[in-house]
Parts: sequence; C-alpha cells; structure tokens
Amino acid sequence: MTPTLLGRWQTRLLLFLVLGLPLTFLYAWIYAGFDVFDIDTNFFLVLVVLFVVGFILDPVYIWLQGFRWDHDWPFAFQFFFSFIEFGIVLALIYFDVLWFLPSFLLSDFDGFLVILGHFLTVFIPSFLALLGFIQIFLVRWRFKAAELGRL
Amino acid sequence: MDKLTFPIVLTLEEIGASGARRFISHVELPVEGTYTVGAATDDSVPVSVAGISRGHLILEASADAIVLRERDGGTTNGTFFNGERVTAAALVPGSEVVLANVVALSIRGAGQDTATKIQEQPKQERQESGSRPSSGSSISDYIIVRPGAEERARGGDEFPGGLFAGEIVSTAALRQHEAYAGEVDFLALGGGIGNFVWVDHLRVYGVPISNIRVIGIDRICYKNYERYCLNSQIPRHERLRSNAISVPDNVWGFPGYASRESFNALFRGGKGSAGAIFEVFGEPTLAQSYTPMAGEVFKSLDKEMARIGWFDMFINGRILSMRKTDDGRYAVAYRLTREAAAANNGQREQIVIGRYIHIGTGYPATRFVEDLQNFRSANPSHRDYVINAYDPHDAVYDAIGRSGKPVTVMIRGRGIVASRVHQRLVAEHDRRNANLRIIHLMRSEKPYGDGAKFRRAKRPVFNDVEIQPFNWPKACWGGSLRADIERMAPEERAETFEILGGTTTAERSDWTEMIERGTREGWYVKYYGSIERLVPDESGKANLEVRVKTRSATTEYREIHADYIIDCTGLIGDVTRSPFLKDLVETYHLPRNNAAPHGEPARLTGISVTPDFEILGLQNGHGHVYAAGQITGGGPYAAVDSFLGLQYSALRSVDHLHTVRAPFVSSFGPLKSFGQWVRWCQGVAP
Ligand SMILES: Cc1cc2nc3c(=O)[nH]c(=O)nc-3n(C[C@H](O)[C@H](O)[C@H](O)COP(=O)(O)OP(=O)(O)OC[C@H]3O[C@@H](n4cnc5c(N)ncnc54)[C@H](O)[C@@H]3O)c2cc1C
Repeated sequence: MTPTLLGRWQTRLLLFLVLGLPLTFLYAWIYAGFDVFDIDTNFFLVLVVLFVVGFILDPVYIWLQGFRWDHDWPFAFQFFFSFIEFGIVLALIYFDVLWFLPSFLLSDFDGFLVILGHFLTVFIPSFLALLGFIQIFLVRWRFKAAELGRL
Repeated sequence: MDKLTFPIVLTLEEIGASGARRFISHVELPVEGTYTVGAATDDSVPVSVAGISRGHLILEASADAIVLRERDGGTTNGTFFNGERVTAAALVPGSEVVLANVVALSIRGAGQDTATKIQEQPKQERQESGSRPSSGSSISDYIIVRPGAEERARGGDEFPGGLFAGEIVSTAALRQHEAYAGEVDFLALGGGIGNFVWVDHLRVYGVPISNIRVIGIDRICYKNYERYCLNSQIPRHERLRSNAISVPDNVWGFPGYASRESFNALFRGGKGSAGAIFEVFGEPTLAQSYTPMAGEVFKSLDKEMARIGWFDMFINGRILSMRKTDDGRYAVAYRLTREAAAANNGQREQIVIGRYIHIGTGYPATRFVEDLQNFRSANPSHRDYVINAYDPHDAVYDAIGRSGKPVTVMIRGRGIVASRVHQRLVAEHDRRNANLRIIHLMRSEKPYGDGAKFRRAKRPVFNDVEIQPFNWPKACWGGSLRADIERMAPEERAETFEILGGTTTAERSDWTEMIERGTREGWYVKYYGSIERLVPDESGKANLEVRVKTRSATTEYREIHADYIIDCTGLIGDVTRSPFLKDLVETYHLPRNNAAPHGEPARLTGISVTPDFEILGLQNGHGHVYAAGQITGGGPYAAVDSFLGLQYSALRSVDHLHTVRAPFVSSFGPLKSFGQWVRWCQGVAP
C-alpha cells in the first residue's frame, strides 16, 4: 500500500462505518444471546477508541513511510501495527485511563478473550478488504493513495 | 572515398525475363544501421518479388558504404555484383547488386561528406542462424521509410496522398473515396497491451463490441511485448518485473497474480501455495518482492481477449496517418495486411473515421549504441560478436554452451536486462560450459550507501547497482508520489524523474547468489570504465580486443580480450522514429515533454498529454485523442510504460470519456463495478 495521510484517514473511516460498526453489532448481539436490548455498548466504545488511536497514529506512519524509498507501507507493517493499536487500547483500559472504559473489563482472562474476539472479528475482514476487496467496489482507490472519490 | 550522406535513398527495380526493368520503389535509410531486405512485411526493405525470401539479405549502412550480406546459409538464387556471384558486397553510389536475378538494388544520387553525426542507432533486425522468425519484430518498418511514407503522410502521390495534405479533411470527400471503410465511435491504434487495457475498460464500462475497432499488426495484444521479453531473456516461465496487482487482464487489480497463483496451487494441492501470498504480505521487508511469471500474464490475457471479444474488434493492418475531419472526428488511413486484404477483395488501402481515439503504438524504435554500431559496420566479419540485448541473440548462448572451450563474455550496463543476461550466462556456465568467464563493465563504481536520495529516503545499493523492486518507487503508481509528480512544473518533474528513475535492478536471492559465487570462484569480474577502443582481436586470444579507459588512479587503461559483448544499456523510444507519430507531431505542432532539468538544453521525450492522457492539440469538436505507454513518457505520470501505468492511463481516459459524454460509457460507480467484477470472475462477456 502507498497511502497518503488523507487516504489513511478516509479509508479508516470507511472501514469503521462499513465493517467496524456492523460487525461490532453482530458480535455484541451474539454475545448478548441474540437479545438486542441486552447488547453491551462497551464494544462500541472499544471500537471508537481503537479508531481514535489509529487516527492519531496515522501521521506517525506517514512520517515513517517517508524514510522508505518506495514510500510504501507493506501489508506486514499494516498487520503488525494493527496489533500495536489494539495493545494500546488494552493498556488504556487496563490502566483505567478512560473513565468510560473501566479496567474491570479486563479483570480476568475471559474478559480479555472477549475483547480479543471482538478485535479479531473486526480486524480480519478489514485487513482482507485492504488486501483487495475495496478495489472491487472502488476501482480508483488503489491509484488514489487510498483516498476516496474520482481521480 | 566520399562519405555517404543520410538519408540514403536506395532504388529497387524488378528485372523481367527479357531483362526489361520495372521500377519497384525508392527506400530511404534514415540513419546508419542494419536493415533487412526481404519478402516479409516486417523486413526493413520489403520486396515482394518471387524468388526473394523473407530476410533475404542483411544491409549495413554506414557513412562509408552500404554493405550487403547474404544471411547465414546463403540464398538459393544468389547475389551478383559486377556479374560475379558474391555473398557480400559494398555498394557505393553508382554500383548495383542483383538479387536472385530478379531485383536490382542501387544507391540513388552521389553522397557527400556526412554533415551530421548520428547519435542514436535504429533497432537492428537480424534474420540469421538461431534467431527464430517469431523474433522478427515489426519495428524496423518505422525506421525505414518506405516509398515516400512521409510524403504520403503529408499528401504526396501515395496513399492517402493529397487527401491528407491539409490539417483537416472533409468527411463528405472521404465517404466518396474508394478506400472509405466506415465509421465507428471508438478507435484504438496499435493493438498492443496499452490499447488492450483501454478497450477492456471500455467494454467493462458498457461499450458494445460493434462500437469499437482496433487496428494493429499483431492480433495477439502481447505479441510485441513477448518478443522483447524473449530477446532480453525472459522466457514464459521466468518472472517479470511488475507487482501482483499489475493485472492488464483485470480492471480492478483483484485478484492479483499472487492470489491466483496461491489459489491455483491450493486447488491442485500443489506445494508452495502459501508462498506467493506471503511474498505479497511481506514484500519487501520479510520476503523478496513478488512478481508474476510471464506465461501466467500471457495466459490471463488470452482469456480476457476472448471474454471481451477482442478478435471481433480487431483489424489487421498498419496505420499510416491520421487527420482531423471537418465534423469533429478523425480519419485514420491504414493498409491491411495481405491476408486481411484477401477478405476485402484485395483492397488494402483503407480509411476509417472515429470520434474517440486511443494511440498505443509502443516503442517506436530501439537504439543500438554508437560505438558498437560503428564497430559492426566497420567489421562485418565480426558483427555477430557484438550484440544488443534487446535483439534476438539466443544463438550466442547456444554457441557458448556448446563450445565447451574458454569463452569470455562482456556484459555492458547494469539494469534489469543486464541481470537477466547475466543469469542466462550463469546458467550456461553451470550446465554446459564451466570455462565461461563473465566480465561486467560498468561506467563507474557505486559504493554501498551511495544510492539516490529523495527527500528523507535513500535507495539501497548492491553490487554497484541501485536496487528498486520495480522501475519506479512504488508510490509513483498510486501513492503520494503520483499526486506530487502530477502537480510539479515541467523542470521540477524532469529533476525528480532523474532521481527516481535511473538504472536499477531488482533484489533477487538467486541473482545475489550468482554474483557472490562467481566472484568467489573467479569467473565473474567487474570493471569500471568505458570502452575506448574496440577492434577484432589479432592476437588470436579471443574474437574482440577491448581497451577500457578505467576510472582507477593506478591503471589508466585495461586491455581485455573478449569473445562477445552484450550491450544492455538501453531501449530508447524516440517518437519521431515512427512515421505515423512524426507526421502527427509535425502536422498539428504537438508539444513534447522535456527531460532536461532546469538550465540544460532541451531533451524532448514523449508527446505531452493531460493528466487524463488526452493529447490536447488533437482535440477536434467533440472528438478526443488519448495516448498511453512509452510515447507519453516524461509527462505528468512517471510509470507510463508498465502494466499498472497502462491500467491507470486507461482508467483516467475512460473516466474522462464519461465526462465528455461518450456513448455507452458509464460512470462506473461501486455497484456497476461490483457487478462487472462478478462477470469477470464467471468468465462471461461484460
Ligand atoms: C523487455 C521489456 C520488459 C518489460 N517488462 C515489464 C514488466 O515486467 N512489467 C511491466 O509492467 N512492464 C514491463 N515492460 C513495459 C512494457 O513495454 C509495457 O508494459 C507494454 O508492453 C507496453 O505496451 P504498449 O501498448 O505501449 O506497447 P506494445 O505492447 O509494444 O504495443 C504496441 C503495438 O503497436 C503496434 N504498432 C506500432 N506502430 C504501428 C502502426 N503504425 N500500425 C499498426 N500497428 C502499430 C506494434 O506492432 C505493437 O503491437 C517491459 C518492457 C520491455 C521492453
């Protein structure tokens, strides 16, 4: 991938809206035993925090990209840094940095597994979308440094 | 002896049974170089007289003489000079040779001193032992100007003659003309990969087969490209230099070649199925960059050609010239191949009118460096030892492999083609001739850490060559650099291109290994410098004696005995070498791009196009002309001559066609795009 900052932000938002939200809903719904009224909103908060952390890190990635001769961002990097972002979110929860996401969510291993399961549910399809599925709908995206719209 | 002045005009006459002569043609040799005389349409000097075969003679034109030589193995009916049968002859003004008793060839007019020194040499077309007929590219026809091709383009006697004399032709007059062949909306000129990708987009965007026509010499869109690949040592099973998502058979770039390769392996239970995926995933940090196999690319193109109905749109002919019409369109004059004409009552000369044109005629000609060309002209007996890597030269490897004796080959240059030639030589060394020695001549040393710098980034160096996976940094194709370059002013662009382009090769573990092993075992040696003198070796040690002016402080010159020199320094496209493009540029005063950085004398490259790849100077009412490929080099997009570049350019120009409301061209939004992708997967027509 060879995104620009705007491209990163736009694509991140696109994936958040098109994959992140629906998949989180699905995960939370299943977790709630298919009872819509019992859905835990914390899953949505985690997703939003993940989005914000990524949004803030994007300029750092762009800066790093500038040192690469090809000005690119290999998929391996994308993969690796997605887990870094997830790790940051876990740390924010664990150390009670965010008043709306208390650390008791991570009080036991089961709590961690539930959050990890949510992350993977969103991450895997999003990563596959980056690998090629976005292009099927948006032909110009790959030539536009991951920005949306026409060339 | 008087020097000859270029262009040199040859006169060809047919000799009848009674000895009576009939004029055939004047042929203009524009510059020094090697040409072929023969019956094939792709011979540089075409002569269709019974008794003359394809690639009948080889003709070497230099300022001293025109040397004619029979191809290896001779000709059945002989060549006669001053009444004697010969295998070679040097023609000067006034002398004449007779081919097979049926054709007389002479130089028209006496030459004077050569006024200008010619820098670039045209592509050599050689039809000799070992070079497969399939390697005979049709390029030579652009170099050689057939009977008044230029006069013809600008309205001489020949077709299309006076009809195309002005800048604008009248549609009404064309419709009356005997060559008039019809009208169509979309017309693609060239029929190569660039045209194909454009037509593929049109079809997928919604244009029916009946509204599109393609004119070209080779029916198979990758034929010309495959010839270049074979000559420069990329057989079908070798890997190309382009990434997984550069897929000229698929508008979306997905699935790319790596996914397809992995999927196929998985499907057939083969091994290495995860390998290709991992290469894409990890490139270039964890694994070396993935590149597809030539054969796979060709197979995928075969499939897509069939899917979109390519052959139903294809017209087999040579494009001669194009003019604006008085009703906002374009008239294209072309000559059908003999076979195609047979189905057209033998009528070869045709004119078709189109409203939206795409020019994709590829490389106009290739270059043979001057010093080697001079050597070849001066030493006809040794010409086969000096080779241009883009010309057919498989026979050389074969001879090296078979001989088993000590052979020294000098490779000149350090780009990707040098790497491939080197690889091929190493294969001969390992399999057939352990006595092969390779000398690699590079102009200068390139120490580790001395790679090009651009902003915060630096290009790595290995074995004196800068390393870059593809011929531009990746971000030139669709990343930040694409947008930056599009915005730059011409001088800044030229400066940026000098840094980002340049001679590079790819990092491949097998290439690293062969260099390290050869160096360790002593059969691979590098020298830095330039060839100062090249002569046939009189000492008998080898075929050639090369004096290299070195860059080292201690030894100024180095004498090298080599059996072959393979030159890998360049494939340069000059649009004025194509009579068709030259006429267009001159008739409509089309601006060209300039590759010279600020303050340096102009170095004209491709034809200027807008970011939508439109040639603005050719706009005509509602008519638009686009171009793609190397002929647009040096403009707003760096990677024009690559699969992905051709895809980008097709996307831009077809999107532009939508904005100018060309018929059937949809906006190609997400739903249409998805629907068409599903059709592609199913393999059904768009
Ligand atoms: C050795 C080599 C290796 C390459 N490897 C790669 C690679 O690995 N990856 C990559 O992305 N790119 C590669 N390229 C770049 C490659 O050239 C382009 O990707 C592609 O082939 C160019 O397409 P084109 O349509 O511009 O030209 P072509 O495919 O050459 O097509 C031009 C066609 O126009 C025809 N034509 C010209 N004039 C006339 C006329 N007057 N009348 C009728 N027909 C005419 C020619 O016969 C030819 O068939 C390579 C190039 C070379 C030379």
